[in-house]
Amino acid sequence: MSMTNLKSILKKDAPLTPVYILLLIWLLFSIVIIGWIFAASFSTTREIFTGTLFKSGIHIENYWNALVNQNFARYFFNSFVYTSTASVGIILISAPAAYVIGRMKFPGRKLLINTFLVSMSIPVVMVVIPLFAVMIRLKLIGSMFTLIILYITSNVPFTVYFLTGFFSTLPKELEDSALIDGCSLYQAFWRIMLPLAQPGIITVGIFNFMAIWNEYFMALVFANKTELRTLAVGLQFTIQSMRYVGDWAGLFAAVIIVFLPTFILYILLSQKIIAGITGGAIKG
Amino acid sequence: MVCLTPALLSFLFFFLYPVLRTLLMSFYQVKGIADGMSLWEYIGFSNYINLIGSQLFRQSLINIFKIWFIGGIISVFFATLFAVILTSGVRFKAFWRSLIYLPNTISAVAIATMWTQYAYSNQDFGLLKSLFRALGIRALADIQWTGPRFIFTSMLIAFCFGSVGYFMLILLAGMERIPKELYEFSRLEGASIFVQFTRITLPLIRNVFRTCIVLWSVAAFNFFVWAQMFSPIPVPETITPVYYLYNVVFGSSMFAAGGNINVGVGAAIGAILTILVVVLYSAINLAIPEKKLEY
Repeated sequence: MSMTNLKSILKKDAPLTPVYILLLIWLLFSIVIIGWIFAASFSTTREIFTGTLFKSGIHIENYWNALVNQNFARYFFNSFVYTSTASVGIILISAPAAYVIGRMKFPGRKLLINTFLVSMSIPVVMVVIPLFAVMIRLKLIGSMFTLIILYITSNVPFTVYFLTGFFSTLPKELEDSALIDGCSLYQAFWRIMLPLAQPGIITVGIFNFMAIWNEYFMALVFANKTELRTLAVGLQFTIQSMRYVGDWAGLFAAVIIVFLPTFILYILLSQKIIAGITGGAIKG
Repeated sequence: MVCLTPALLSFLFFFLYPVLRTLLMSFYQVKGIADGMSLWEYIGFSNYINLIGSQLFRQSLINIFKIWFIGGIISVFFATLFAVILTSGVRFKAFWRSLIYLPNTISAVAIATMWTQYAYSNQDFGLLKSLFRALGIRALADIQWTGPRFIFTSMLIAFCFGSVGYFMLILLAGMERIPKELYEFSRLEGASIFVQFTRITLPLIRNVFRTCIVLWSVAAFNFFVWAQMFSPIPVPETITPVYYLYNVVFGSSMFAAGGNINVGVGAAIGAILTILVVVLYSAINLAIPEKKLEY
């Protein structure tokens, strides 16, 4: 890089110096917190308290201990089953509905959109008590189906709303020509419109995946046995017990186990995830 | 119509039926959560009156109001600041955007543990403690961040730190839709950055601000995880209505005095929160009516 080039860059950026300082402080803070907890998770509790992390080498047994003795392998499996099953189920229910609402005019259409919109802001505590009673009567408390059903039904309105906007922007000609070619409306949806809506479905699918993976309140209420707990609920119970036992190294290893999956997913898919947030919150 | 049926059934199952039943239940004394209606005992507005009479519940309402108001100002202020920063031609914009949004992608339980067990920790390894000690500021180093005096403030700061990225993203998306020419014309006319922000940006993203206020309100009214993570046993400093409800209906702590569980109280809390949401939406609609903006 030539000197003049460097000078012009510096000149352009100079007024932004305070801004860069602010951003760098934020970055440093994030790195210190995550980095220290990561380091602590490979050390012993004694080293954490004496400020001598890594002194006796790397202790992978903290992770082994959390995964096996503290059931985190099981929690991880549970979270994965709940999240993946529900994410697929939501799309299977929402996509056809969004297609109909987005493409067709029928009486009550506006009312339907508004109903879904309103239901998104109902506090979960307004519905949780009757749902618990229903699950007891259906004898589903104590089964993984409970949370799967709740995660699907609770996320349908948002997903329908998100995909309705997406379907209504797709060109109508394609669908018409499919119908002329003798496709039924049903075939037109599966063969033509669904593949076209794929980017929207993937975006909202990732969004739902992250939201369900991190969901806490319903998981706490409905997954009330060790075998049913999600990672987040498992972590909460583990922290309470480890604090009393004084196993800080194990506690931080558990935090990293919960932290890593979505962190990695986010690094890989951050553009898609960000598109999901802004697409859902801002109307076109 | 086959296409719509599953979505409508989901709505009936998860929203319509439970909302109506909770509303009805709030006027009854209900001993067991799974009790059928024949076992309910009608008591009028007693559940509501008892709740308002409870000092702990009143405190929980005050707490969410403080979270909503103070936290809302802090979060939306910093979110706007970062959104303006990222649209000002800063380098590595996508990186900063992802970094600030990061806390939103991770389980709140994990993030809250990072704060309570490391950043705010009273042990020698605590981040704030060791930082202020290294800087030689004794008064700050000795603060018990999760002690009764500071626990609410500590919790609110940690919560806002995570929320900023979410609102920044939404505001950023709104700002990026404003045509660049508007800024170029005004710059030629000699408008400063501040004037550009107040005269162009703010009026054009008013609908986005509205969305932010609504989303923030939902988050504040449903405040629970952070309260539970900061105080595993409910205390007046951090209690919120959802935490209160959790203990009345699903917990087994001091709330169920003498085994007198009344699920109807929980239903009344749900109804109060829902009414608050409705009132707030109406207020927002009056204060910031939604305008169709063409640009």
